[in-house]
Amino acid sequence: MMQSSPLNFRRAVIWIGRLLLAGIFIYAGYAKLTMGLHPRPPIGVALSFFALQVDSYQILPTWAVKVVANLLPFIEIGLGLLLLIGWKLRIWATLITIVMLGFFFAVVRSYALGLQINCGCFATPEPLTIKTVLRDGALAALAVLMTIFAFQEAANRHPWTARQNSRSA
Amino acid sequence: MDRRRLIVSLFVLLASMGLAALTGSVSAGMPGQAPGVSDVDPYCAFGSKTAPVTMEVYSDFQCPACKQLFKTTNQPLMDSYVNTGKVYLIHRDFPLPMHAYSRVAASYARAAAHIGKFEVVEQVLFQNQEKWEANGDVKGTVAAVLSPADMKKVQALVDGRTLEPLIDKDKQAGQLIPVNQTPTTVFHSKGQTYPYAGVMSYDILKQFLDQLLSQK
Repeated sequence: MMQSSPLNFRRAVIWIGRLLLAGIFIYAGYAKLTMGLHPRPPIGVALSFFALQVDSYQILPTWAVKVVANLLPFIEIGLGLLLLIGWKLRIWATLITIVMLGFFFAVVRSYALGLQINCGCFATPEPLTIKTVLRDGALAALAVLMTIFAFQEAANRHPWTARQNSRSA
Repeated sequence: MDRRRLIVSLFVLLASMGLAALTGSVSAGMPGQAPGVSDVDPYCAFGSKTAPVTMEVYSDFQCPACKQLFKTTNQPLMDSYVNTGKVYLIHRDFPLPMHAYSRVAASYARAAAHIGKFEVVEQVLFQNQEKWEANGDVKGTVAAVLSPADMKKVQALVDGRTLEPLIDKDKQAGQLIPVNQTPTTVFHSKGQTYPYAGVMSYDILKQFLDQLLSQK
């Protein structure tokens, strides 16, 4: 019965993953660019402040901190939008999973080392705690699951979608 | 991609942008909640009061990250920004309860500040942090860099406990931000407040300060 339904478990996970991760990525990128301040600070101020937060993780050399800080907010917004639209889903789901696993590694490492820093996830002064680790872990797990299911879905399309595709083709 | 999927995607996109904007406006108050630069002990402040950028550094003398921040940024910051009138630097004491001697160290540093010897005492306390943390000899550490006459004045101020309210005031100001960990640096520029927790490399700090200073 589940297989004949257009909204089975696999599809539900893909949809939840897409909506949740896309929303979080778009918001995270937007928050880094505006810092949640009114009036918005100039973009150079926001990006250089984000560079401080990237630097606080003590993982990257200075040049890499600057590159990541200047690109990440835009990458987050771009990936979020592409994931939401759903075109070439497997590519964007894979990239978001890689980024999420990177975030997860960074917070686990910092938490294990006892670094007293802010998460920097949404540009607010949010201390990095076990809650942050669990939240990022859950989101990374969701991203992994969504990506696996997206590949499975492409390999084994639902009859309704398959019919639709063959008609449109 | 069919039309229905495109419409749903656009709807969700607009909804998420609306949510983001809403959340942004809600959280916007958070940095603004930080108190302005008030209750400054002039003996623990450096540079020009009218500098375009103010930096408050909430620090604990026994905290290793505070030592790291001091070692990596303090000297070049003083040379390039504080002494040139670009940054007003305020030292704020935030002794953490888990550190047995940080309050004592803060008391000696504050007393030294009031006789004009803050920088030398701050330096010796951070440089010998592991030593006095192990033996508890804050007084001996401070005495090593002061003349006997100055040490006498400092000891009198520490014993008199008249400067303790200033440390308490710093701590209360930090709790309002709120400071959750040390070091926490609060930048003030153009009416905006930017709280930042953790250590930072000088290059990245310099980039941020230059951006703040370039604001019109």
